[in-house]
Amino acid sequence: MAEHPEKPRWIDLARKELKDKPVESLEKQTPEGITTHPLYTAENLEGIDFVNSLPGISPFVRGPRATMYTVRPWTIRQYAGFSTARESNEFYKRNLAAGQKGLSVAFDLATHRGYDSDHPRVIGDVGKAGVPVDTVEDMKILFDEIPLDKMTVSMTMNGAVLPVMAAYIVAAEEQGVDQEKLAGTIQNDILKEYLTRNTYIYPPDPSMRIVSDIIGYCSKHMPKFNTVSISGYHMMEAGADSVLQTAFTLADGLEYVRAALNAGLEIDAFAPRLSFFFGVGMNFFMEIAMLRAARYLWADLMDQFNPQDPRSKMLRTHVQTSGWSLTQQDPYNNIIRTTLECLAAVLGGTQSLHTNAFDEAVSLPTDVSARIARNTQLIVQEESRVTNTVDPLGGSYYVEWLTDQIVKEVRKVINEVEEMGGMAKAIVEGMPKMRIEEAAARRQARIDQGIDPVIGVNKYPVEEETEVDVREISDSVRDEQINWVNRIREERDDAEVRRCLEALTQCAESGGNLLEACIKAIRARATVGDVTEAMEKVFGRYVATTQCISGVYAGEYQDDEIIKTIRKRVDDFAEKHGRRPRILLTKMGQDGHDRGVKVVATAYADLGFDVDLSPMFQTPAEAAKMAVENDVHVVGVSSLAGAHKILVPQMIEELKKQGGEDVLVVVGGIVPPVDYDFLYNAGVAKVFGPGSMVTDSANQVLNALEQNA
Amino acid sequence: MPEDAAYYIEGVRAGNRKAISKTITLIESALSGHQELVYTVLDSLLPYTGNAVRLGITGVPGVGKSTFIETLGMRLIEKGHRVAILAVDPSSAKSGGSILGDKTRMEKLAAHEQAFVRPSPSGGALGGVARKTRETMTVLEAADYDVVMVETVGVGQSEFSVASMVDFFLVLLIAGAGDELQGIKRGIIELADAMAVNKADGENAVRAEKTRKDYENALHLMAPRSDGWQPPVLACSALEMTGIDEIWDTVLAHRRKMEASGELFRKRSRQARDWFDFLVEEGLKEWFYGLSEVKSLLPDLTRRLELGDTTAMAAARQLLELVTHEYERKQT
Repeated sequence: MAEHPEKPRWIDLARKELKDKPVESLEKQTPEGITTHPLYTAENLEGIDFVNSLPGISPFVRGPRATMYTVRPWTIRQYAGFSTARESNEFYKRNLAAGQKGLSVAFDLATHRGYDSDHPRVIGDVGKAGVPVDTVEDMKILFDEIPLDKMTVSMTMNGAVLPVMAAYIVAAEEQGVDQEKLAGTIQNDILKEYLTRNTYIYPPDPSMRIVSDIIGYCSKHMPKFNTVSISGYHMMEAGADSVLQTAFTLADGLEYVRAALNAGLEIDAFAPRLSFFFGVGMNFFMEIAMLRAARYLWADLMDQFNPQDPRSKMLRTHVQTSGWSLTQQDPYNNIIRTTLECLAAVLGGTQSLHTNAFDEAVSLPTDVSARIARNTQLIVQEESRVTNTVDPLGGSYYVEWLTDQIVKEVRKVINEVEEMGGMAKAIVEGMPKMRIEEAAARRQARIDQGIDPVIGVNKYPVEEETEVDVREISDSVRDEQINWVNRIREERDDAEVRRCLEALTQCAESGGNLLEACIKAIRARATVGDVTEAMEKVFGRYVATTQCISGVYAGEYQDDEIIKTIRKRVDDFAEKHGRRPRILLTKMGQDGHDRGVKVVATAYADLGFDVDLSPMFQTPAEAAKMAVENDVHVVGVSSLAGAHKILVPQMIEELKKQGGEDVLVVVGGIVPPVDYDFLYNAGVAKVFGPGSMVTDSANQVLNALEQNA
Repeated sequence: MPEDAAYYIEGVRAGNRKAISKTITLIESALSGHQELVYTVLDSLLPYTGNAVRLGITGVPGVGKSTFIETLGMRLIEKGHRVAILAVDPSSAKSGGSILGDKTRMEKLAAHEQAFVRPSPSGGALGGVARKTRETMTVLEAADYDVVMVETVGVGQSEFSVASMVDFFLVLLIAGAGDELQGIKRGIIELADAMAVNKADGENAVRAEKTRKDYENALHLMAPRSDGWQPPVLACSALEMTGIDEIWDTVLAHRRKMEASGELFRKRSRQARDWFDFLVEEGLKEWFYGLSEVKSLLPDLTRRLELGDTTAMAAARQLLELVTHEYERKQT
């Protein structure tokens, strides 16, 4: 098709409106590196093969099902879990009564990492960012009065996937539900854990075996269960743009498919049960196009395995709105952000959706904020009438063009990964993690400069703080949980548990299905920790190699006056004290969210600080030792999983014990404002909540250092 | 920073972690007041130094140095040693800042009571690395760490200075990263007391063995060393814990041989001499170029030199006479 006959006229008109600036001045560069234009016409659709395709038919751009929401809307599936199994169970039941359709369980970080609640490394983590599960008894309480043959359950579990999956199966069995009736999803996506979030336990090789053992077991015994939820969400939250999110997620998917094929499974026996999980942020049309492009690409990528069942090529996905896009400042704005993200997910054609509560930038949702989040979906679903038509944006010049652009860009990245030998190899090389962290540093720099506006943060900030209620997890939860698991340990048949665990170790060593062996151990009341250790004897615990980028943050600065000013301050400090300000950035407990700490590390180094990075998962004593041994001026604690009130005061105590009483302590991350005074009283100099600008924090750290000197 | 030399001296001797740490900071400090204190502290600690095995470790980025050190270090602690690690990370030329991430790859050592791990920024100045690390090493010896490892990135100048301060210099390699010498300068190979192909595990093992042989052959072509030591080429896997003991045995065998022949003493004396020479030269330069007469004469002199109005020899003589004349005048 030729250019639109009236295009020159339009250009003239546009130029006039632009007061003679060229139309090209309206072109925008997206974080993905795609240049968007102010206007699209039919000519932009030339050569795009999927434009006039139909939903329910490969390549599924317009949706995996023929009728999409016109018959059955997406499942409202809110992710939740906290405190104890009993409290979470009551919360679930209230939500189901209020219109939620499926469950999605959040486990606490102790469980994720395979530690029982009484392990010394999890003192700050029990019940904080999810529900603790030590034994099958917890799982039974969690689903009390929730019939597991009727309710689809999604479980976000990757590290301790075997004991948790086993506990779910045994809980159902003791509820009288046969495992073949179980429907739902286990995340079971270990590869992305090495990229972001870090809730792995074992090294990649044995972890991949665990994934394929679960796929194998379910394809035989649990035909309605989604065995892997291949997740890009966490990559987006860690800073990946839409192209990186899609590329690495699909590349992970390919790796799982190959692992299952290598384990001897037929493609059609398992591929229909692979599902996806994407994150959707504020770049409205880009997010919609991303979901459409992902479906197209998956269908295309799966062709190489010659599936006969069309469902093997069908990308079905869950979506969660972006937690990272939420701000602590002016928090009610988050309701509006989430609404837009919700609409983008729906227009992109998701199968189920979690909408964040507005207070999740600082804490766990309260009952009220959870209700608003749920109602956001109910209103879009039931009031807005967007469900009346399948893929209402199909045929939009812009959306179709953008979909095609994403397809092309994603292909490039996937090819790069394939050339490295697949995602597992690329991860070992560190390539995907570096890419994501670079994207994160660039994004932070754009926000800090105000290039990407965030209302209430870098634009139109409000003076007064909005006070929001916070759901507080009582410190007694851990004690309760410890008493409870000890009681189970006393009552169980130790000899039987030992036999089961030995059999499990044996199975890890010499082959056999690990899930089968775990079910037996869990049935005998082995704990999550027992089961994890039994396999750890053979597999070992994985230690990540941390790489850090440099120069990216400062490189993104166009007007580098701010940078120059801070560098000058840093140089002055060095002149006066004989060395540069030295800061240790550390993460304690089982909180593996390291995007923030990496961005701060690279930015501070770019500003002239000497930055020490600690290993992940430190105890307070270990962090303090490192601070003293490296003789840093400041320790910056990054806390995103609610353990700050326990771990930070403990670290300050440890610093005193080890002679580091003069070391300044600052805290950054997800800390509700109501906790600030508690931390200040414990000796913290500064707290930086979500939405803090890095340059601003650096200035404040320098202020505090000058006062301290 | 405490200003009392006794704090540092007694603290280091008592093995107090904080005092050791502060002493290192003192050594690294650019303040002249601190430098005065350093001389006193180091002089007092001198009788307690020299007893450790000094091991330098280098290799190109990605060779797995930190993981290797973690594995070897933990193995040595198991055997009853106290291990200190000094790592030098590059400072950014632009911002002057640095990221010191070595401990993220030495998780167990970082947390262990019997280990002291201290990463340091290389800083801007040439010779900065050596200046800091050499003195720091002796502090750790005085604090009774009996193995001191110095890690350096295998690019640039730093490994020459590291090799000139250790008893044993180990170069780590990876399998098949190009047929040529993996971007490692030939001069560095000549410094090696041993080389080890790391990551000799899994599907990599065969390629590692081939690389090992290649280097073995290459080393045979080099002229024999005056100390009579033939540097072996080994293979190891920090991941699978293989070949680690063998490398340590090599270090010990080297030490026994060098001790028996008196070469260890000679090597350390030579290193001390070289270091002394270097410091004197550096000191002279710094002092000379800092003189106000030199500062005022130099620009004009160089301009004339560049224009061809004078010769380099005459210009140098004129500049040096600023001090030599003065000196001769005092003599007479």
